Amino acid sequence: MIGIQRKIWTLTAVVMFIMAVIWITLTYYNQKTQEQYNDILQRYLRMNEVTTASQQLITSLNNYRLTPTEGNLSSLRSREHQLKNVQWSVGMLRNEQNDFALTSYMNLVDSLIEATDRSVMFHSEKETEDSVNAFAEATRISRYISEMTLTLLDKDIHTYEQSYRQMIKQSNEFKQLGVLILLTITFILLLFTYWFSLSITHPIQQLTQAAQELAKGRFDLQVKVNSTDEISFLARMFEHMRININNLILEIQQNAQLESELQRSKLLLKESQLRSLQSQINPHFLFNILDTLSKKAFLEGAEETSDLLVSVAGLLRYNLKRLDRSVTLYNEVSVIQQYMEIQKARFTDRLQLETDIDDSCLHVPIPGLTLQPIIENAIIHAVEPDEHGGTIRVSIQDLGEQVRVEIADDGPGMSQEKVQQILDEYPVENEGHSTGIGFSNVIQRLRLFYGTDDVIEIRSSPGKGTTVILNLPKKGRNTAHDEAANRG
Amino acid sequence: MHKRISLALGSVCIILLCFTIATVVRMVQSDQQQLPQSAAKKTSQYRLVLITHDLSTPFWDKIGESAKKEALQQGATLEVWGSYGEDQNDFLKQIEIAIDSRMDGIIVQGLDTEAFKEMTKIKAAFYGIPIITVASDVPMNDSMRKTYIGSDPVMAGRTIARQMVKDMGERGTAILIGNDRHEYDQRQRVKGVMEVLQNYPDIQIEYIQTSNQKEKVMAATQDVLNRFPDVNAFISVDANLTSAMVQEIERRSQIAPYYIYSFDDHPDIISLLRKGKLDGVIEQSPETMGKMSVEMMTQWLKGEEIPLNTKGFFTSIRIIQPADVQ
Repeated sequence: MIGIQRKIWTLTAVVMFIMAVIWITLTYYNQKTQEQYNDILQRYLRMNEVTTASQQLITSLNNYRLTPTEGNLSSLRSREHQLKNVQWSVGMLRNEQNDFALTSYMNLVDSLIEATDRSVMFHSEKETEDSVNAFAEATRISRYISEMTLTLLDKDIHTYEQSYRQMIKQSNEFKQLGVLILLTITFILLLFTYWFSLSITHPIQQLTQAAQELAKGRFDLQVKVNSTDEISFLARMFEHMRININNLILEIQQNAQLESELQRSKLLLKESQLRSLQSQINPHFLFNILDTLSKKAFLEGAEETSDLLVSVAGLLRYNLKRLDRSVTLYNEVSVIQQYMEIQKARFTDRLQLETDIDDSCLHVPIPGLTLQPIIENAIIHAVEPDEHGGTIRVSIQDLGEQVRVEIADDGPGMSQEKVQQILDEYPVENEGHSTGIGFSNVIQRLRLFYGTDDVIEIRSSPGKGTTVILNLPKKGRNTAHDEAANRG
Repeated sequence: MHKRISLALGSVCIILLCFTIATVVRMVQSDQQQLPQSAAKKTSQYRLVLITHDLSTPFWDKIGESAKKEALQQGATLEVWGSYGEDQNDFLKQIEIAIDSRMDGIIVQGLDTEAFKEMTKIKAAFYGIPIITVASDVPMNDSMRKTYIGSDPVMAGRTIARQMVKDMGERGTAILIGNDRHEYDQRQRVKGVMEVLQNYPDIQIEYIQTSNQKEKVMAATQDVLNRFPDVNAFISVDANLTSAMVQEIERRSQIAPYYIYSFDDHPDIISLLRKGKLDGVIEQSPETMGKMSVEMMTQWLKGEEIPLNTKGFFTSIRIIQPADVQ
């Protein structure tokens, strides 16, 4: 059964039970008292009956003596019979106190009947005098019986006086008890009703309060209800709802935050696009000037300078074009040849380039401007500081699955720590005049492009030169390429 | 708030509950001692009745008490009935009721009247109810009593006479006062007195008889005082007359010079003796009378002693003087 209903039923049942118990008890006591009263009355009535019956017997006897008919005789006999019955019933009233008197009483009745019989007998035998005597005796005995009745009644009253007083007292107490019980029940009911109503309304109040708090927007207060009935179920559901709402609100807040962040990054993106477009304009204008300069140098007969300018312009153009998309190894190789020409113009004999290129594997895709920074790095670190110059070897070999690109110099080399630093993409300070794309940038891009970390390795030790090895897979280029390219 | 209300209601409940429970307990307890209705059919073996015409005198109270005590021991039930003073009709009625109620035995104070004799001799005998006289006797031939328990009246007479002679000396005038009903035991007492005084020729004896009424007694006393101014002693053979007699003597002269003697079976006697107005009283043994009468009755009823001593069983007597009761 459900909680509140059960409570109501329990209360009602308890009340009914108490009422029933009280009713039964009161009825029982009432009945008992009634019976006592009846008993007492019966006693007195019975005793009185004996007197009446004995007097009636005398009257009948007198009638018979005056007119001795059969009818009168039979009425006399019936009176006698009646008296005997009454005598027997009086015999039931015996108790310790009236034992003696009652025996005497009953014997008196016997004597009366005997005297009556005697009178009748003498009368029928015409012995008038004896009959008169017997009649007188019977009359006397009848009188004695009346007196004895009084004595017995007196004795009875005396014997039961205590009881009668008790009964009166009890009936008074009964009244008092009635009032007390009424009061007690009233107060007990009040108490229980109070508890009962409290057990229903208190959780509701708690719930109401919780609802008010929720309405005010405080979702962090726990809904607590001390109850075990439906209200507690409601409270649990309410609590559940509160937690859900709370979670939803948190989620919404997070979403809003995310949204605003997204907005901000969109703005940033647009800004950077704008910048990149802007930056594209400037170089174009720059290498147009370079073209003009080259033609001017050619016209003035400085053919070598003109060629150098063309190389620089080509390199610049490549640089601007290819940075944001993948190219093939072939493009890269031609870029480094152009670059080397420029560098040769500077270093003349000090810079030696040895190439060993397998043409069949030049179709391998590779992020733009990958090799050039490595070569540049090698020139800066291995060739430039040495007076005698140095040699840079570039070899490209087909290893089946992969294409191996080796760029080796015979410079001073570097320590293992440094190598590790570079491989860990630690920002390395740029020395001098590179295109602005650092070595770490290259490593980063390669790794992003191919999706593996071991695409590059560096072998170096102090005094023994440095070899940078790229293991380029022929296929399976990573989708991250575009992003990486964009970032480059 | 809630707690306070609960507490208040709870305490009121508890107090009321206490009262209610107390009342209930009281009611249940009083209920248990209800009507002693237990029809204890403890009919005792013998139903005896002691009938006297001097009910509520200390003398008869003692007899009644001791008789009841003895009855209790013998397993019999005894009730004391009787009449007050001189209501003889009531006394006889009681006897008749006792007979008609078929008592097992009747112990009765003897009354030397025809009606009494008829009652005991004819009616009681007709129903076969044994009668024992106590304290006062009626001769067996007249009353058909089984026996008599009480003082020997002759002996009592002798004792009182001897005491008088001892006090007064062997010379003087003594007056005997008795009632005019010529009761048997009174006659016996007078007989006893006479027996003793016969031996003293110098003592003059005058026996006057009067009825029981106070005025008559006083008149008779006055008369005898007039006739014998030099009287020395009074012997009241009926205790009922003593008080009025003393009163009359007192009225006429000082009481001290007279030797006054009486029997004890009247409530005034002891106080008169205590006041020194009597010089000697025959004290009987009511306790023994009561006890023995019941004893004899039950013995007779059980058939242990048949026939009982027809002459009677005499209980002890002694003379007491004012000094003994101070």
